[in-house]
Amino acid sequence: MNLFERLQKLDRRWIFLVVAVAIILPLIFPFNSKTYTTDPTEKLYRLIDSYAPGPHEKAIEKDKAVLMVFTHDASTMPELFPMEVAILRHCFERKIKVFTMTFIPSAAPIMDYAINTVKEEFPEIKSGEHYVNFGYKIGALALPIVLGMGEDIAEAVDIDAEGRKVSSLPIMKNVKNYNEMNLIMDFSGSSAGGMWITYARSKYGANVGVGVTAVMAADEYPYLQTGQITGMLAGLKGAAEYEKLVDVFASNPDPAKREFSRELLKDPKWDDAITNQNIQYKFKQARIGMNAQSVAHIMIIVFILIGNIGYFITKYKQKQQG
Amino acid sequence: MFEIVSNWVAAFLTLCIFSFLYKDNPFYRFAEYLFVGVTAGYTIPLTWEQAFIPYVYRPLFLQHKFVLLIPAIIGILYIFTFNRKLNWLSRFPIAFGMGIVGMGVPLSMHASVLVQMHGAMIPIENINTLLVFIGTVTILLYFYFSKAHTGTYGKVVKIGIWYMMIGFGASFGYTVMARISLLIGRIQFLVADVLHIIK
Repeated sequence: MNLFERLQKLDRRWIFLVVAVAIILPLIFPFNSKTYTTDPTEKLYRLIDSYAPGPHEKAIEKDKAVLMVFTHDASTMPELFPMEVAILRHCFERKIKVFTMTFIPSAAPIMDYAINTVKEEFPEIKSGEHYVNFGYKIGALALPIVLGMGEDIAEAVDIDAEGRKVSSLPIMKNVKNYNEMNLIMDFSGSSAGGMWITYARSKYGANVGVGVTAVMAADEYPYLQTGQITGMLAGLKGAAEYEKLVDVFASNPDPAKREFSRELLKDPKWDDAITNQNIQYKFKQARIGMNAQSVAHIMIIVFILIGNIGYFITKYKQKQQG
Repeated sequence: MFEIVSNWVAAFLTLCIFSFLYKDNPFYRFAEYLFVGVTAGYTIPLTWEQAFIPYVYRPLFLQHKFVLLIPAIIGILYIFTFNRKLNWLSRFPIAFGMGIVGMGVPLSMHASVLVQMHGAMIPIENINTLLVFIGTVTILLYFYFSKAHTGTYGKVVKIGIWYMMIGFGASFGYTVMARISLLIGRIQFLVADVLHIIK
């Protein structure tokens, strides 16, 4: 039995072990790898950034806001949670009004966890003033709420997760419906974003963005092509891209460099983010994960090549032997 | 202290699930059953707290909005689905639900069909739009089954098959990425949150 024949009959548990090692090593010994940003991520970043109050404008007066909808449970957290953290960080850093909501019971604690993870770095950010967590709303009420928010958010949602009357919150100043809460960002491992496209975009013209698991990304591209989705974060890669954009612009130590520019993005100094001790682990989690992802992908490609070479060699030998 | 204990419990359960990669075993099954039980146990009180109390109990018994009795009774009819003689009653709330689905049909047609069709009818100005045009036409022709896929027609249809194969390849690539990401997430939890090897 030659090497390729042995590989054909290899116990798959050895492959599991090799993949596990290929993932664990880059996580324990992280290295700097480049994160290239793509158009769907940049579009989303630029739209959210355009909601930031101007230098002489009070955050509370701003008439634009983002709604983040958490449509997932813990099973898809590795891909979606870093996206949520990155967008919340962007909003808190730039004082952009942000609302959070879910129609899934098990997403409620994830929502709290995401907000608290980011908020502990921004002591000046206050609930009810800079952000509001609408909390869990039952799935049966999803449609009335989605349509109702097109007319009056405070009436459709009524109370937030802390039991406060939404209409009485300072953040609601100059925010009434989708004209102001103009971007709905849905995070899911399914086609849940379709509901927002169908009702909030078609009927009220709201912008819709999606943060999806990589499995769902291919299904969302047609909507991206027609512009029904403004931007998309696809899997861990999308999260890593958004993390980088927040580092380069929104969190840039130089306030003069916080506007999006391609020149700044090309600066190689931003490629050391993974080993840079000044950036907290929770704000570069997706980029560290992408290191392991790259190594694992190379391993899988090698396995596929070896498997196919072995298959063709074995087939050729069998043919030779008649 | 709570965080340390909860992290170790989560780490133990993660390893229980991973143990299935070696072979099926009692640790894996324990973690699986526990997950199902915890999910159900979490959902029931949350629905009571977030749905029944604010949308039924409070408006009905405290604010005396008796009109809510009508949807509440219609909703209760669902329970007759378990009774052979009276299960016809459960069709009323189902019919009501179907009516709500019907409300979305015109908007769904707009978003999923008309706008998407419009997106495929743009002028061929560059290589991308040309590729979209060829792909759309050849794939649609593949799904036209009233003509045999032979001769010149068969060759055109084959281009559609290639487009679909590339699409499936892209989907598969994304799926591999997603599954690896889930593994990365768990290992990041183990090495960062539990063992504190990376910070």
